[in-house]
Amino acid sequence: MAAEANNAKPTFLSPPQEGEKPIVSLRGITKRFPGVIALDHIDLDIYPGTVHALLGENGAGKSTLVKVLYGIYTPDEGEIIINGRPTRLTSPADAINTGIVMVSQSPQIIDTLTVAENIILGLEKYNHLVPVTKVYKIIREESKRVGIKIEPSIEVWRLSYTQKQLVEILRAILLGAKVLLLDEAITYLPIEEKQRFYKFIRQFADEGGTVVLITHKIYEAMDVADKITVLRRGKVAGHLDRKEATIEKIRALMFGERSAEITYERLPTAQPEPKTVLEVKDLWVMGDFGGYAVQGVSLEVKKGEVLGIAGVAGNGQKELIQAIMRLRPIIKGRIIYNGEDITRKTTYYLRINGVGYIPDLPAKYGVSIENSIIENIAVLPVYSRGIINWDKVKELALKLIKEYEIKTPSPDTPVKFLSGGNIMKVLVARELTVATNLLVAYNPTRALDEATAIKVRKVIKEKVLKNKVSAIIASEDLDEIFQISDRIAVMNSGKIVGVFPADKAKREEIEHLMVM
Amino acid sequence: MPGSIASFIIGVSSIFLAYYLAAVGHGLMEKSGVLNLAIDGVFTLGVAVAFAISVYTFSVPLAIFIAMIVAALFGLMLAFITTKLPISHGAAGLSTMFLGYGLAALVGLPARQLQINGRSLATIQPSLGGTWIWFYVVAFAVAVGVWCLVEKTKIGAAIRAAGENPASAEALGVNVLAVRLFASGVGYALIGIGAALFELAYTQVWSQGAGMGYGWIAFAISLSAGRHPILILISAMIFAVLDKYRFLIAAIYNLPPDVGKMLPFVAAIAAMIIFMVTPLRRKLAPPKSLGKIYFREERSV
Ligand SMILES: Nc1ncnc2c1ncn2[C@@H]1O[C@H](COP(=O)(O)OP(=O)(O)OP(=O)(O)O)[C@@H](O)[C@H]1O
Ligand SMILES: [Mg+2]
Repeated sequence: MAAEANNAKPTFLSPPQEGEKPIVSLRGITKRFPGVIALDHIDLDIYPGTVHALLGENGAGKSTLVKVLYGIYTPDEGEIIINGRPTRLTSPADAINTGIVMVSQSPQIIDTLTVAENIILGLEKYNHLVPVTKVYKIIREESKRVGIKIEPSIEVWRLSYTQKQLVEILRAILLGAKVLLLDEAITYLPIEEKQRFYKFIRQFADEGGTVVLITHKIYEAMDVADKITVLRRGKVAGHLDRKEATIEKIRALMFGERSAEITYERLPTAQPEPKTVLEVKDLWVMGDFGGYAVQGVSLEVKKGEVLGIAGVAGNGQKELIQAIMRLRPIIKGRIIYNGEDITRKTTYYLRINGVGYIPDLPAKYGVSIENSIIENIAVLPVYSRGIINWDKVKELALKLIKEYEIKTPSPDTPVKFLSGGNIMKVLVARELTVATNLLVAYNPTRALDEATAIKVRKVIKEKVLKNKVSAIIASEDLDEIFQISDRIAVMNSGKIVGVFPADKAKREEIEHLMVM
Repeated sequence: MPGSIASFIIGVSSIFLAYYLAAVGHGLMEKSGVLNLAIDGVFTLGVAVAFAISVYTFSVPLAIFIAMIVAALFGLMLAFITTKLPISHGAAGLSTMFLGYGLAALVGLPARQLQINGRSLATIQPSLGGTWIWFYVVAFAVAVGVWCLVEKTKIGAAIRAAGENPASAEALGVNVLAVRLFASGVGYALIGIGAALFELAYTQVWSQGAGMGYGWIAFAISLSAGRHPILILISAMIFAVLDKYRFLIAAIYNLPPDVGKMLPFVAAIAAMIIFMVTPLRRKLAPPKSLGKIYFREERSV
């Protein structure tokens, strides 16, 4: 408790240089939602030409803060000062006009519109009747300059997640952003794009631009940021300068005592039983836009082991996982679960037979955000066959909220009111409960803060070791793959290009196979 | 059968244009995400207003103009209350529909009394002086105009964005309220003109309830063509022919008259199925947020 009181004192370790004025200042910004104070009198100065990282555990208030800056939320109290002038931002259009643009983790661009249509919507200088083709040229030019290839006339639904994020970032540049708000916008890009964008961000700041960067990858923040502000429970826990920042200091500010639990050591290796729980034989699955995303994959998961699937995003992992869950048609090949051929069985069959599932884009495919935590648990066939026992489900919901420290006013709160990471916690907690035999997961700790991510991995491993549950986990995060897996399969261009026992696998070799 | 192709084309011109304008206006409004269940009430009101103004002033342009303005005001009101407040689009639309029915009687009956007492009604005769040609020209011009507006311009992109996902649209820099006001105002102006033409160029008579049900047909025309301004030309034509000649068709094929009345709706279902099995279906899919309540400070995924 004493440590926390210390942490709460803002520690200005390096005052800004003489004469430099903040481009954005927040004074006493407070935002309340029913049952929570998301931001509690926040004071913050952001200086031009800097990358300012905003860190904090799930639900700390990071997204709310940048949404206030982008005019999506209006603060209940406090003042926003932009370039020395108190400014009221009542809509994103307002913010864009003052040079503030946000890019968030889930792309905001609209699927049925073309790239150019999405971009022109924010461009003030074009009047309403201007043909959209007018912007094709500048989009082509600017995308070339930034080093990404984007065709302005393509409809967004044809793009991959990565491409969509690139369009979002390109859009921010084209809107003439002076202050770029990145809410986990880069975190889930494949390594190569990510590095390119960190480089771009650095350059953008060196040329006088300002970046507010939210990420759960603390090392990345330390790499690129000039200043770091840590939020905790809606308050500023501390300000750090890059030079003074150490990983321990940051973690202590973010998590308090919980920071002691953070470790990237490999979790104990399991001793699997000889029985095969999941077998995939020569599997062929189509991608979204034609072409085979999975090309002749064969693999096995034994009882009581974790098979990790490493790979760069977009190499067929998503389609493989969906095919196993019987959510995507199988063109050729077979899947056997517990000795039963499930190639022609439904997801329902798997769900009532002890399979837990953590999908890609959890808020879209994993939970129903309009419904409460209780309802999101009750919806699973293991609880909703026949008459739902609401008391039992509620009891379970309360237990999971406590166990996973889900920040919510109550178990009846619609999931859409939770922070991104807490939505993910609801899903993960539920699925780890129903995975009594097999867990099928894609990026199971996506959007979770470090402490929670590691806790989730520990819980999974414990179930594998103690209860002999099996798991197949695809992840784009190699740290995760190494920490949790007993065997590692590398997927590249729809094929498994190598399988290794995790305790003997070499990181360089796996990285090489991933991008080969 | 109609005497000749020419008299057939002239005969359906007025109802075709009336349907077309109402359906395309409806489609424009719904593209922006506002569910339009008020159409039949406001159409009926537009019919009554056009009739009354025509009786009072004996001016066709004025009658059309006033009907257009009255309808546009209803469009603005619907867009405003459904976007600014967390009100169900369905409830707002249906209440407005009944309001429209009531006001139509209020507006039309006194004028009808005057007419019975000898005052006459200014009308448009499609067959006179090639007016019917202009009806088709207007329909095609509006079709191309609305299509360009929706598919090619910045505001068109904004309308579609507001209909797909208003929260995202807002984040992209769209003023959702302004865009919905625009789409609904213009949409209802077109519905108002359609209603006026229905009265002054097609039926040319008025009694209480005149026009009732035709708004719903415009609704069906728009839906069956996926709200697409060009395709609506085709479905408006089919419905116009079926309306004008349904009794003739029923007589020729020896169908009971009630079956004749059902024909337009059978055609609507058939048209929807045909569009939806073609690659057009992505373009013609309803806006994703159509009729959804939109709170500004809420998360959308
Ligand atoms: N629109 C909303 N309505 C109600 N409560 C909200 C809303 N948005 C955020 N909250 C609450 O405010 C708090 C802060 O949420 P916020 O999204 O800012 O967290 P965060 O720091 O971004 O977390 P994460 O890392 O999980 O994304 C949470 O308790 C959340 O439940
Ligand atoms: Mg967040």
